[in-house]
Amino acid sequence: MADRYSFSLTTFSPSGKLVQIEYALNAVSQGVTSIGIKATNGCVIATSKQTSSPLIDDTTIEKISVVCSSIGLVYSGMGPDARVLVDRARKAAQQYRRVYNEDPPVAILVKEVAQVMQEYTQSGGVRPFGVSLLVIGSDSTGHYLYQVDPSGSYFPWKATAIGKNMVNAKTFLEKRFSANLERDDACHTALLTLKEGFEGAMTESTVELGIAYSEEVEVTDSSQPSGKRRERRGVFRKLAAEEVKDYLANIA
Amino acid sequence: MPLNLNFLNAGRRENALLETGDFTAGLVDSVDVPNFELPAVANPVEFLHHQTKEAESCRINIAKGTTTLAFKYQGGVIVCVDSRATAGSYIASGTVKKVIEINPYLLGTMAGGAADCSYWERELGRRCRLYELRNKERISVAAASKLLCNMVLGYKGMGLSMGTMVTGWDKTGPGLVYVDSDGQRLKADLFSVGSGSTYAYGILDNGYHFDMSEEEALELGRRAIYHAGCRDAYSGNTINVYSVKETGWVFKGNYDIAKLHWELYAPEQ
Amino acid sequence: MDYNGAAIVAMKGKNCVAIASDRRFGVQAQTVSTNFKKIFEVHPQLYYGLGGLATDVLTLSEIFEYKLSMYKLREGRDISPKTFANLAASTLYERRFGPWFVEPVIAGLEKDGTPFVCGMDLIGALNFATDFIVSGTAKEQLYGMAESLWEPDLGPEDLFEIISQTLLNAQDRDALSGWGGVVTVITPEGATTRYLKSRMD
Repeated sequence: MADRYSFSLTTFSPSGKLVQIEYALNAVSQGVTSIGIKATNGCVIATSKQTSSPLIDDTTIEKISVVCSSIGLVYSGMGPDARVLVDRARKAAQQYRRVYNEDPPVAILVKEVAQVMQEYTQSGGVRPFGVSLLVIGSDSTGHYLYQVDPSGSYFPWKATAIGKNMVNAKTFLEKRFSANLERDDACHTALLTLKEGFEGAMTESTVELGIAYSEEVEVTDSSQPSGKRRERRGVFRKLAAEEVKDYLANIA
Repeated sequence: MPLNLNFLNAGRRENALLETGDFTAGLVDSVDVPNFELPAVANPVEFLHHQTKEAESCRINIAKGTTTLAFKYQGGVIVCVDSRATAGSYIASGTVKKVIEINPYLLGTMAGGAADCSYWERELGRRCRLYELRNKERISVAAASKLLCNMVLGYKGMGLSMGTMVTGWDKTGPGLVYVDSDGQRLKADLFSVGSGSTYAYGILDNGYHFDMSEEEALELGRRAIYHAGCRDAYSGNTINVYSVKETGWVFKGNYDIAKLHWELYAPEQ
Repeated sequence: MDYNGAAIVAMKGKNCVAIASDRRFGVQAQTVSTNFKKIFEVHPQLYYGLGGLATDVLTLSEIFEYKLSMYKLREGRDISPKTFANLAASTLYERRFGPWFVEPVIAGLEKDGTPFVCGMDLIGALNFATDFIVSGTAKEQLYGMAESLWEPDLGPEDLFEIISQTLLNAQDRDALSGWGGVVTVITPEGATTRYLKSRMD
């Protein structure tokens, strides 16, 4: 019986809601807050690495993940569920790379991950993911901040927050965001936002920052007479503890 | 036995004859069928079959792809050929003379190996001249073609490649005989030889009748080669046209197929 | 690769590229038609040519059409020449042990106007060139002509003349290609295609 039939656990309630998805969102809103901001010259994501016990060695915890050299993401909600999505996102990026020999555009990667999350709302025997994601990246068309929810829906943002403190954080961001914010300011603002309702001390070991931007680099190109070519390419990287420390020093 | 090339040097032979006064010595020697050194193996035919098959792809300047034709009509014989020589798919030449003028009364056409055709038809020319000197009359087309046939037959299976039409005018009127390196020898009113022959036959069979005028006949032959040149990748470039009459053969002209195409046959395209 | 015959060449110019091919479809020695399409448009700034086995030229052009349509729908933009080159290469390598008998030639302008030409072998080994790319049974002849006629920084009109002469004279030395020619010159303003009269033998 079990291998012949398997029903989706996510089923409509008489009122037309998928309550399983709402429960999943509840799981997200219990998760640690994550912030994302789109600046003029790049995007920023930030989160805190709060642990349930001071005995946990937080130096090994990583909540911001590199998907490919130009895209990264952070999650709020259930860590193990997020790991599955990071895995799938990395695979999708590599598959794209295998065909086109370049990183996927952010929108394509986001669509791919959202597709996976949607499938888990309609397939038999599975439950939705208990996470929301903030994906940032840079491609030839610009840099973007996306939020992906357990339902599989996704939205591009100028600034947003997910997790425990998201409502307050969003209100904060609405006040603090401006269209001419630069990446440095965005890091600063992200940390300030995170500071609202932060439990415990904000240090370089309890805060994570990731940035996405584009930079011009010189690459070898045998098809140019000079053998070289200047090229813009997207970069995603996590900030080192030293860099986080510098930003924290400014918000104390 | 080594290849005797003395006959190639006419001047030296004349001198030798003058000095010795022995006419027969030189003549007997040169009347021999050219004798080529064969591979020193038990069965040269089998050995060469193996060798020539392997060598086929690397032989250069062979006129393997070709269209040649000749036909009899009320006024004599018309001979038309293309001028393309290919080595594989490479067009090695577009200005090959594929009609061999054996003597003022005999023509041979070239299809297959260029070297084989030109060598053996020149050898045929020499033997036809000797026949004339000995018999005080011109050799018949039938006899000439048989000489050629017998010569190449001696090397059957050793890789010679030749498909030729021998044409001319003799006591019996216009003559046309097909001879190839397999030893085949045929008489008919109409032949076409080479990779483009099927296309030429198509035009020829459609337009041919014995009573046509010389002008009609020349046009038919030229058009047949033109169409073969268009359809067959290994034929083309230019057309050489000859007319054989009682007074001997006449060269009627050389036509560029591209010019014919754009100016005469398909100018509207 | 020499069952049907082809002559395809692409060249870089100054702020322009050109791609040209013959028009023969033949089966070995027999010329069957003289209006066979070997050059295909991706978008006005990107063309590619396929030289090799005609049945694979047809099938592969349809596969590319499918993949490119899907790309455009998915990404909402035209593919860039470099990206298409990589897509073509990976498509060919998918059949590493039973290849398409086709050697593509790609010509286009990048978004910033940079000329791009590239070629690849039948299993997708890319060759990005500074000058020109050739493909087909007339490859050697095309190399000879292009090597002697091409020079850097040709304008669109000069490039048209050079690529036309390269094509015409090369295919006149190849039995399996020719029977007409077609040249497309791509400039930032758009692409212009012209048909060439040539020997028909």
